[in-house]
Amino acid sequence: MTDETLQTPLVANRQESFGKRLLRRMEPVLWVMASLSIFVGFWEFAWWRGWANPLLLPPPHIFLANLPDQFRFFDPGGTRAGALATGGSIFSVLGVIAWSSLRVTVGLALGFMLSLAIGIGIRYFRIFGKLVLPLVTMLAPISPVAWLPVAVFIFGIGNPPAIFLVFIAIFFIMTLATLSQIDNVPVHYIQLARIMGCNKRQIYRHVILPAILPELFVTLRMNLFAAWMVVLIAEAVGVGSGLGQVTMMARNTFNASLVFFTMTLIGLTGFAFDQTLRYIQRKVLWWVGPSNVGGL
Amino acid sequence: MTLGLKITNVSKTWNPDGPDPVPAVRNLTLDVALGEFVVLLGPSGCGKSSLLYIVAGLEDATDGSVTFDGLRVTEPSPERSLIFQEASLYPWLTVQDNITFGLKIAGLSPKKQHEAAERLLQLVGLVGAGDRRPHELSGGMRQRAALARALAMKPKVLLMDEPFAALDVQTRARMQGHLLNIWESSKASVLLVTHSIDEALALADRVVVFTARPGQIKAEIPITAPRPRDMRSPEMIELARQCEALLGEEVEKSFKEQELT
Repeated sequence: MTDETLQTPLVANRQESFGKRLLRRMEPVLWVMASLSIFVGFWEFAWWRGWANPLLLPPPHIFLANLPDQFRFFDPGGTRAGALATGGSIFSVLGVIAWSSLRVTVGLALGFMLSLAIGIGIRYFRIFGKLVLPLVTMLAPISPVAWLPVAVFIFGIGNPPAIFLVFIAIFFIMTLATLSQIDNVPVHYIQLARIMGCNKRQIYRHVILPAILPELFVTLRMNLFAAWMVVLIAEAVGVGSGLGQVTMMARNTFNASLVFFTMTLIGLTGFAFDQTLRYIQRKVLWWVGPSNVGGL
Repeated sequence: MTLGLKITNVSKTWNPDGPDPVPAVRNLTLDVALGEFVVLLGPSGCGKSSLLYIVAGLEDATDGSVTFDGLRVTEPSPERSLIFQEASLYPWLTVQDNITFGLKIAGLSPKKQHEAAERLLQLVGLVGAGDRRPHELSGGMRQRAALARALAMKPKVLLMDEPFAALDVQTRARMQGHLLNIWESSKASVLLVTHSIDEALALADRVVVFTARPGQIKAEIPITAPRPRDMRSPEMIELARQCEALLGEEVEKSFKEQELT
């Protein structure tokens, strides 16, 4: 009996600390929810007061109300583009998201690797650098949207032009970022490598490459959103499937509800992408302190 | 052929063809014998670090020559290892991988690298820290790891550019004792740059006092007292006073020069 009375506060204490721990882990999530709620709250309020026309600016409770109704517009293959198709399930929605994500991922991966290779090449081979750098600098300010017709001329319709546009959206910026990172490698790092007997190739492989990777990964994350914007344009114009195509079709059929539903999906997917890149960054580039990861 | 380091009539001018050439070192001659501990003492910005970089082979002398064991120095080499004020460990490598970096480049087997790392961690007093990352170490531990990295290459001369300047006073004294032990067991020569008189007197076989920029040798003071030295002994106090007077004149000069420009 006495045991029980003694133990009760202990248990309560443990429960409390568990609750506290849960709260601490959930805190970031709660802030995200709070941030969203403010936005949604204003919107719903505007609808309630009659300021927002539900046909043009349907608030979340309307465009999220009848999901199956929205789902039937989604088709991963894009063959039912524009049609009021029947069927369509959560899987077809996920399929559409997967296609867009795949295009972004492949474009980002190609852009990252090639910009790294070209950037290092420009600094490693002097003549190559002198020939290529002016070209890169001149092409960098051209908006990826301007490349859209070129992408279609070269690759026609389908995945390649969308991937090409994502690639173009990050390639030139990432190449210039690679150069600036190489130039900012602490001079002591390189002097030490020379003393330790490294030749030029070894300095690039063992010192410059690991020294520049963390910052380049941050740059990649910064350009992730640009890549998403571009892929939607490409899908609307040059591919005929994916989230961009659904948005364009919704616009053409004046389906405001579908427009906002798709925008929600795009926002969530972009958020998930950023989180994934952050996770990879933390796992692969462990020598960068968490304070240098940046972002949310 | 002379063994050891021979610096003959070396001059160094930064930006020699530009509109504002900066003479760092002028017509400097200095020999460091095998196993000798020489400390370069001078006001900041007097070109003593420039001299160290030239000896390391990282910079070319504008004039004059540097030979090591009779061979002219033209490029960096592991036998003339340089230790910087900040440890400059590679943050992407563990302490052990930092220490064995040069051995890996030289193509040693992982087993030999590991053995060397164990021995060196023991030598510099970092046993058990091999798997840590540089940012987890204190300043003194980082500098010891940098020392181990240099020693891994079995250098014949250790060049040290104000290696303890970033450390607090207590750590500094410990590190000096540590360095003396390692120097005695490794039989390498040491050429150490500092602006601290106490550090120079505690460590050196010979203190070389530099003039203000452009750096020239103002005086050479041999110290024969056995180590560890009692800095409060009359002999050491007298030496310190002597260094202070020599250094004071030069600091005065460089101050005047700065006022003029």
